[in-house]
Amino acid sequence: MAITVKTLWDEGAEKLSLSVIAGEQHLDRKLPETAMNRPGLALTGFFQYFANQRLQIFGLAEFTYLKSLKEGEKLKRLKELFEQQIPGIVITRNRKIPEEILKLAEQHKVPVFRTPMVTMNFVNECTVILEKLTAPQERIQGTCLELMGIGMLLRGDPGIGKSETALSLIERGYSLVSDDVTEVRRTSRGRLVCWANEVTRYHMEIRGLGIIHVPSLFGVAAIRRQTELDLVIDLKTPSGNEDRTGVDPDTVKIMGVEVPCLTLPVRSGRDMANIVEVAALNQKLKELGHDAAKELDDKIITRLTKGRVRNG
Amino acid sequence: MADTTLVKKFKVTNEYGIHARPAALLVKAAGQFECDVFMEKDGNKVSCKSIMGLMTIEGYPGSTMAVTTSGADAEDAMNAIEELFVNKFYED
Repeated sequence: MAITVKTLWDEGAEKLSLSVIAGEQHLDRKLPETAMNRPGLALTGFFQYFANQRLQIFGLAEFTYLKSLKEGEKLKRLKELFEQQIPGIVITRNRKIPEEILKLAEQHKVPVFRTPMVTMNFVNECTVILEKLTAPQERIQGTCLELMGIGMLLRGDPGIGKSETALSLIERGYSLVSDDVTEVRRTSRGRLVCWANEVTRYHMEIRGLGIIHVPSLFGVAAIRRQTELDLVIDLKTPSGNEDRTGVDPDTVKIMGVEVPCLTLPVRSGRDMANIVEVAALNQKLKELGHDAAKELDDKIITRLTKGRVRNG
Repeated sequence: MADTTLVKKFKVTNEYGIHARPAALLVKAAGQFECDVFMEKDGNKVSCKSIMGLMTIEGYPGSTMAVTTSGADAEDAMNAIEELFVNKFYED
């Protein structure tokens, strides 16, 4: 997903303490590669390999080097740099910006920013923001909760009781992330992060009650801004085809990422919140390396095969 | 409809015997029917609709299990169980 310099400016100006020094009217320049480059090597005149599609960061190294150059040479090198059609420049440590850079920026329509941050910190922070801006994102149907560090998505047909189950879990002290509509982002590590739409965030719709505001009723401990997804639970009307042992766990693909998935049959009188809670605990146990179903099966197989020898 | 009771013996022929996966298949098969389905070996009798029961009955490879079905659809249930034993629980 291609973004413009303005996207970064809108999202990151405050967090990165950025101010525009030149080229404010050229913020709509594209940022083809959402990464940063230290142009030190380019300033020495080496352009054979130069990441010109990236945001260029001028730190202490670049400034010290520029200072060592004679005036004419300095202008020549900077000119060469700007001729590469760079998307933008960030000057860190609040350095005074040389006149040459300001002039060239106007001439080549390149926005120039300044930040008081130290280069390394800026690069770290900016990477996080850029990743967030460019990560693939989708809106999916389902209620998202967080139970003891396990991010869980409850899915199922309308009216099957997703919100009611979520409500019971909130009453037990777990946290709501989103009701019914969940925004999902895939991180570069291949994890899925869920959060709620800004407008309806922390509201729930309960049949017969209408719309409720969860933190007003249950306190701020009952909500969570976002969570990484660990488990998907599908609530279904009973089919008789449910998994009975859990030896062959199911997964579901969301945005290309495989997520463990359980299908729970809903019968009247069955305490779904209780079962979902145990599902989260069991998932936690699995992540710690204990798979109860598999361990019992292995134990039985060992016993059975020993029995074969004994019985001839 | 008259209730029928059928008894049939089956040999466990798959490699690992009745462990979790075959047990789950048996429970799923038996669970489709109204009738009672039991499995017996060495004097231990458990319901064929109970996973935990089937996993404790020690169905070693090579051992013989006596299956009893009783109820209106006893015959269909027996056929479903037989199919699993004959096909080695679709393992190997």
